[in-house]
Amino acid sequence: MWIFPFIFFFLGFSSYPQNQPFLRLSVKDHPGLSRVLIESSIPLSFSIERSGSFLFVKLRANKPFRIQRRPFRSRFIKSLGWASGRDFYTITIRTQHRNFSYDSFTISDPPQLVIDVSPNGGEERREESRESPKRISVETNKEERKVPSASPGRKSVVIDPGHGGLESGAKGKFGALEKDITLDISLSLKDIIEQKLAYNVVLTRDKDVDVSLENRAAEANNNKAYLFISIHANSSYRKEARGSETFFLSLNATDEEARRLAYLENNSAEFEDRIGGDNEDDIKMILWDMAQAAYLKQSSQLAESIQKELNLLLGTVNRGIKQAPFKVLTGVACPAVLVEVAFISNPEEERKLLTEEFQNNVAQAIYRGLVNFLRRYSQE
Amino acid sequence: MNIKRLIHVGLLLVLLIILVIIFFRKGGEERIKPASSTTFPEQEPLSEEPEETTQITLFFPSEEDTLLHPEVRDIIASSSVGIQAKQVIEELIKGSQNGYISAVPPETKLRELFITEEGVAYVDFSREIQEKHNSGSSAEISTIFSIVNSLTYNFKSVKKVFILIDGGEKQTLGGHIDLSRPFLPQHDLIAN
Repeated sequence: MWIFPFIFFFLGFSSYPQNQPFLRLSVKDHPGLSRVLIESSIPLSFSIERSGSFLFVKLRANKPFRIQRRPFRSRFIKSLGWASGRDFYTITIRTQHRNFSYDSFTISDPPQLVIDVSPNGGEERREESRESPKRISVETNKEERKVPSASPGRKSVVIDPGHGGLESGAKGKFGALEKDITLDISLSLKDIIEQKLAYNVVLTRDKDVDVSLENRAAEANNNKAYLFISIHANSSYRKEARGSETFFLSLNATDEEARRLAYLENNSAEFEDRIGGDNEDDIKMILWDMAQAAYLKQSSQLAESIQKELNLLLGTVNRGIKQAPFKVLTGVACPAVLVEVAFISNPEEERKLLTEEFQNNVAQAIYRGLVNFLRRYSQE
Repeated sequence: MNIKRLIHVGLLLVLLIILVIIFFRKGGEERIKPASSTTFPEQEPLSEEPEETTQITLFFPSEEDTLLHPEVRDIIASSSVGIQAKQVIEELIKGSQNGYISAVPPETKLRELFITEEGVAYVDFSREIQEKHNSGSSAEISTIFSIVNSLTYNFKSVKKVFILIDGGEKQTLGGHIDLSRPFLPQHDLIAN
């Protein structure tokens, strides 16, 4: 009998050769609330940010975590996801309702972070809203009316000015910063669209602030974006590099992901109600993670349409659209492109990028490309 | 009593030894094989016997076009793919000898490189690859695919490349290209 502990000792030791810290995520329902439990092997320092129906829990980490997520079904929590950054992890908690409140506390031994989520407005309504989807949609509309940029009934175009805050992006020789140029162009594109089209325009930032790449995609999905356009200024090691380029997402598709992709492409009709729909939880996770996979065809058409107009504007011929695995596009659940307006690393183009005239011309060209695309897309 | 006890202790020792052997043999096979961290002293050629060399191909961007251009170079031969792969990256960091552009900041150090049995090369760079990087989509694409294509081109066993920085997973080099998934080579970026 006394031999067994040794066996377990060795088995345990050989299957975990590294001393890697772990995070264990689980959800449990209690009367009136759902409890998200984040257990860890090391003490955690964290912050919680709320956006729409999401809670983002940012954990500082010097070492990569092994993350385990227990499958769950919960009344108030729709899904749990995570992403990692330079020295932090973001745990994404998606709630069933936009109208919720939360409470958090920690337990130090063993280290745990507890987040209790409950819908606002008492237990009675909570039970009711689970049964009647109508009630939910009324709530959502109320919430949306508060946000001036998202009036109901209109489709939204989400414009994403690249970079911002401490993250200034590429820098030019004359001191131009990518983040400033992208914001200027985005603001004038917003004006043009709002003047001429019956679409809401939502900006992922309208001033010089940091916005994480996940939150940009979340902004698009929370607003049920119809189109997503990310604006950037390019930089290259080549001094001569010049001109505009429009990208759509390429996936570093592994076998497993290629299968997911095929599934999403074949079933994209099912995803019309996208993130807000009533699909199963595991499909939600796929959507959140690789949502863009279902829209690659439309995204390439949007890219082509915009690039064509940019070529006309700049007198370039034969510059096609490009594909690359841009982080900001992966989670967006609608046709999405990233426009590299011009090269800030090319002094001549940098000077142009700083002029209001050029910024306006670019915004006009993107607008024309968008209109040409919408003519086809909205008929589909 | 005593004899019984001795037998028990004997049994335990034998079992321990067996388990230790199994553990080390299995562990050695299963875990990803880190390439030996031996670096090749540069002050060398004191040894008179010329060391055996092997040819590798590196890929660099050029001023001419937006493609990656091959540059052939000799490195010291080794039977270990891990060691050779490390040399490929170290040569890539040294930069081009034919006037091509170096897309990996020269201050960057290769911290570690290992190749899994599934053919994913994990390449761990020091933080300079991010800090000294000329942020921008085209620049990031050049850096990433000069690394990815150089590794996959030279080693059949490398199918994908995962770029780590300072021992961990990072989102991007400068806000654009997603580093959180392994990269497949992009053959259409190669000149010719």
